[in-house]
Amino acid sequence: MVSTFKVPIGPQHPALKEPSNFTFDVEGEYVVNVTPRVGYNHRGIEKACENRTYLQDIYLIERICGICSHAHTTTFCQAVEECGGIQAPPRGIYLRTLVAELNRIHSHLLWLGVAGHEVGWDTLLMYVWRDREVVMEILEMLTGNRVNYAINTIGGVRRDITPEQARKLTKALNILEDRTKHYRNLCLGEKTLLSRAIGVGVLKPNVARSLCAVGPTLRASGIKSDVRRDDPYAAYDVTPFEVITSDMCDVAGRVVVRVDETLQSVNICRWLLENLPSGDIRTKLTRRIPPNEVVSRIEAPRGELIHFVRSNGTDKPDRVKVRAPTLGNILAVCEMLKGGYIADIPIVLAAIDPCFSCTDRMLFVDSKNDKNWIWSNEDLKRYSTKFYAKESLPGRR
Amino acid sequence: MSEEKRAPTEQKKAPLPKIEPQEIESQKIENENSMVEEIKKFLGEDLIEAKVQRPRRIYLKVKPGAHRKTIQFMKDNWGLYHISTISGLDLGDNLEVVFHLNARNVAVNVRAEVPRNKPKIETITDLLPGSNLYEREVHDLFGIEFKGHPNLERLELPEDWPKGVYPLRKDWKAPE
Repeated sequence: MVSTFKVPIGPQHPALKEPSNFTFDVEGEYVVNVTPRVGYNHRGIEKACENRTYLQDIYLIERICGICSHAHTTTFCQAVEECGGIQAPPRGIYLRTLVAELNRIHSHLLWLGVAGHEVGWDTLLMYVWRDREVVMEILEMLTGNRVNYAINTIGGVRRDITPEQARKLTKALNILEDRTKHYRNLCLGEKTLLSRAIGVGVLKPNVARSLCAVGPTLRASGIKSDVRRDDPYAAYDVTPFEVITSDMCDVAGRVVVRVDETLQSVNICRWLLENLPSGDIRTKLTRRIPPNEVVSRIEAPRGELIHFVRSNGTDKPDRVKVRAPTLGNILAVCEMLKGGYIADIPIVLAAIDPCFSCTDRMLFVDSKNDKNWIWSNEDLKRYSTKFYAKESLPGRR
Repeated sequence: MSEEKRAPTEQKKAPLPKIEPQEIESQKIENENSMVEEIKKFLGEDLIEAKVQRPRRIYLKVKPGAHRKTIQFMKDNWGLYHISTISGLDLGDNLEVVFHLNARNVAVNVRAEVPRNKPKIETITDLLPGSNLYEREVHDLFGIEFKGHPNLERLELPEDWPKGVYPLRKDWKAPE
């Protein structure tokens, strides 16, 4: 009988920036059970929001995540607008949606690069991230910032778009579309990626549903669910777009969904630019918000993001609850890892596009012989490359 | 690696059956008011308050303990399978648990109050397995015990955090 080893991974990881810890029970090369532990980055933002005014909270909430910063402020601003009973003007709403889609393009391209990196294909990382600069520069041009855009505010947005900027944006969208199509063909025809992605990290549709997975992870398991379509917010009730799904249920499916979504986002941006209404970009709102409570849901790049805001008549919220998409996908990723190889852990974890990661160092504990040793992220990656070079694995295309 | 050990892999990597994108029954948007009427009829006295705040938003307040019944009803009749999250709230004498559910594309929020000195409520992990981590989160930060949860351990707070101190309750103030 093969004995079971416990392999704790995390919480520190230099590649994906944010910490989490998973304890893997392994039998030989196979992972048989996974226990997650999150919270290493719990900064008490929900509590801090209660002691700040709504306006101050926007900038605090923007800093929950450095990649989908715009998603968090959109959710929060929508919630406060609904609490206060006001509606942002159409032009403000459209601009908010435009930045949200550019944000999604940037996030998905970033993920594609990271996915390439995790399977040892760093060329893809270099090229994708070079082209991601196009959208980063556009975001900087539109909002003044590269990461925390600070363009959302309660009642609309803070900056208008000029005709000159719109021209530049149209050009950039063409480049992005070309390059994304190129990467789509490249990824789907390239063995380097496919041999590490097909049949890896399988999540069956019924399991994905029962574990309440969200976003591209859920859609890559063949389930058509997207908050933009199911619970339209901002300008999505009028914007034409398709919900992308894949029936592959594995890492390759998640690549396809994200790349195709990027192409959809490019089209949404074009449509928004063409149909941009004129008028104000912002409505003013009183500092004190009447007592109310609101659930605000949006589709962030990683999936459903939900904020619950309760106001109490003062200028500070009574309670702000945030559930980011990664927490919704933790149970699903544990399920994906079960039955897989140790060598596939980095890419399967990366495939939910987690806002943390954990393969920095691995502590191997041999509970029988009371020995332990440590592997760094580099060791693990070298090991996984070697493992796949050596073995001609059965059942892989 | 020997052939023997490889056997389970071959099983695992068998080609997946083709799956058509699933349109879920709950995709149809129904009239929220008729949903509220249905739940009123079912719950009767267990329902304290029900309101439709705007299209696709329903808020229900049920008696403590009736939340399981409510969720079971939604599972059976409305095709509910998704729970977005669980919020805890501090109301002073009572604590409140809000289950943010999503049935038929309507965000249904079911709330139940529990007394502050005896904060206990039945788990819903057997009805909706996705609620596992959310219950642990509320347990961590509000000290609400979910009876019957399979593994109600600390999720977010550090290991050396003192017992019985719940940072999201209103009486806890961040040290200067």
